[in-house]
Parts: sequence; structure tokens; C-alpha cells
Amino acid sequence: MDFSLLSDNIGLFMQGFMNTIWASLLGLAGSFILGTIIAVFRMTRSRPLVWFGTAYVEFFRNIPLLLVVFLFYLGLPSLGITLSGFASGTMGLAVYTSSFIAEAIRAGIMAVPKGQTEAARSSGLTYVQTMFYVILPQAIKLVIPPLSNQFINLVKNSSILSIVAGFDLMYYGDIVATETFDTINTYLFVALFYLIITLPLSYGSRVLERKLARHD
Amino acid sequence: MVVVGPSGSGKSTMLRCINRLESITSGELTVNGIQVNDRKADINEVRRDIGMVFQHFNLYPHMKVIDNITLAPVKVLGTPKQEAAETAMYYLEKVGIADKAKAYPSQLSGGQQQRVAIARGLAMKPKIMLFDEPTSALDPEMVGEVLDVMKALAREGMTMVVVTHEMGFAREVADRVVFMDQGQILEESAPEEFFGYPREERLKTFLGRLLSH
Repeated sequence: MDFSLLSDNIGLFMQGFMNTIWASLLGLAGSFILGTIIAVFRMTRSRPLVWFGTAYVEFFRNIPLLLVVFLFYLGLPSLGITLSGFASGTMGLAVYTSSFIAEAIRAGIMAVPKGQTEAARSSGLTYVQTMFYVILPQAIKLVIPPLSNQFINLVKNSSILSIVAGFDLMYYGDIVATETFDTINTYLFVALFYLIITLPLSYGSRVLERKLARHD
Repeated sequence: MVVVGPSGSGKSTMLRCINRLESITSGELTVNGIQVNDRKADINEVRRDIGMVFQHFNLYPHMKVIDNITLAPVKVLGTPKQEAAETAMYYLEKVGIADKAKAYPSQLSGGQQQRVAIARGLAMKPKIMLFDEPTSALDPEMVGEVLDVMKALAREGMTMVVVTHEMGFAREVADRVVFMDQGQILEESAPEEFFGYPREERLKTFLGRLLSH
């Protein structure tokens, strides 16, 4: 590996790296919140909510991520909303990933024993309170492995931002590659930067899993 | 009041109708002056006055014992955290496991868990407590400690509806004993009469079978 390529272009790499971290953090938070809401929708007894949740999941998880991002980048301007490449890319990423997260969390909710809901509801807690304080904490704990899978995917998928000028790691990687003509080395460094984010993520999820399992 | 009867006779279902954990398909049921079978009734309003203890405890495994007990008072009644914690300690003291307040449910024995569940129900200061086979999932040597707590409660005048197979308990603490079979209440009387002079043929057979071993 040619480390002078890294030091010569460290400014560009770092800019992309930081933007990828931002897109990942925002996407992670957004997809987690959206996914949880959609999962809860699908578990209610309200037909419209169940229908909406199902339609949401089936739509966004069954079309390519690139199309979801285009929907935000090219589709919204026709409604008068123009977003930056970074914003539309991150939103597309969050929405796309949330459909998978919703399914994971739904599985978790179904795995929490029914007695938990009964105990909470019988004490006077509302449906929403029961979900929030009793069911979801247990459900999410159960599905940490599939969730961390989705979050790792999200970080890697954030490279889609490069296509809509989102100034992410991949975007700057492309620039460095065209300027230096050293594609192999450039993309090797880009890969390393992704690993700097994803490896701690997998490790962290394992630690979290172990820590939360202590009281079972 | 103690409800007895063979398995599948509808004891638990009847109990669960009282706070509408079981949806009521027909008929009328009034609890505390509120028509529970009415779909428009504010069921949460009814439930906050009814404590319930389950066969499988149903403690929240992700929360410490103390948080298990304070959750509903804080979220439903709006009791300040500090006050709720004091109340929780009072009831934990009462069921004899104040030292376990900071433990997680999985660190407790079945009997201890069930006593926490009773404290959790009491912390809402309910008008009535429902017990759905509270000792059926316990090891034999732990049944006693839970029954003792329930006896103490009954002596203090708490209104309780207890579904159980513990005939000794029924005889000792019940004001009224109800016998159910096939979804029907067949007999209802004071314990002396219930066990001494059962009227229904079906109850006589039931009691006969219990006493023969």
C-alpha cells in the first residue's frame, strides 16, 4: 500500500470519512425510530395502521436502495422540496433500512411473552406506555444481532451518497482515484476507512448483547 | 372470595373478565360501578383500582424489583418517583423481601418473585386484588410463603378474588367459596358449609376426589 497517497490526500479522505460518519449516525437514529414506529403500527389492532405499516415495509424493502434515494433526490423537487445530495441520500438510507428494522423489531415484539402485556395493561398502563416501558425494551434486546446486521449494512450502503453528490467517503474516494490514477490503492484506503466504522459497530453490538443478557 | 373448580372450568376466564383481560362477548359486568363490558368504558380507569397477580408472576425481567413496583404508580397515577419508591419499599417490607429491592427478577426464587408481584399489585393501592392461581407454578416449599402473605392481606381486610387449587387456604381465609364447572358457577357459600355440607352433586365428587388422596 502506498501511504503517500493517503497523506497527500488526507484532507479529502477525512472530509468524506466525517460525512460518512454523519450520514451513518443520522441514518442509524432515523431508521431505528422509523422502524420501531412501523413495527408498533403493525402490532396494533387498528386496521389502517397495520395496513400502512405493511405497505411501507413491502414497498421500501422490495425496491433497490438507489431508487429510494432517487425518490428523495429527484422526486421531492417535483413537489417543490429540494434537498441536498447528503440530505436526500441520508433520508433514503434511513427509510430503506427502517423497513428491515421494522421487521426485526416486530419479530422481537412477538417473542416477548404475552404475560408481560397482561401484567402491564392490568396495572392500568395504556397500550403506548406498555409498549414503551415494558415490551420494546425486551423486544429490542432480543433482536440486537439482526439489528446490528442492519446497522452495518446501513454504514456500507451509505456509499450510495456518492451517486447523488453526498460528499461521503466513496465520493471523495472517486475523486482521489481519478486525480491520482491509483485506483487500487485509493479504494483500499476507502475500504479501511469503512472498516474503522463497521468493525467497532459489530464489536459494540456483541458487548451490548452480553451486557444486557446478564439479567436473564 | 376463593374460586375453585376443575381445570378448564372457566375460573381464570371469569377472573380475567373482571379487568377485561379477556374480552367480554356477551352479558353485563359491572365493576366498581363501571360497566366493563361496554366497549366505550375507560378500561384503564377500572384497572388502576384492580391489582392482579398471575400464575407465572409476569415480573418485568429488564427492571429491578423496585422499578417493577414503581412503574405503574408513577406512570398511571402520576405519583412522584421518590414517593413511589417509599411506597414500594413499604410493601416489599410487608411481603418480607425489602432486601431484594435492587435485585433483578431472575435473581429471585419463584416464591420471592410472586411476593414481588403481590407488592407490585398493592403499590397501586387497589380496591380489590385478583389472584390467578398464584401458587400453581411454585415449588412446593415456596407455596407457604406466598399463601402466608395472602392470608395476612385477607386479615387486613383487602378484598380478594383468588382462583386456586389450595383447599386449605380456601377453608381458612375465604369468606365465600365459589365452585365453578364448565363455565358455570354451581355453588357459592361460606367455607364451613362449602366443605362440610356441599349441595351440588358435582361439587361433592370434586371434593371427594381431593380428599381421597
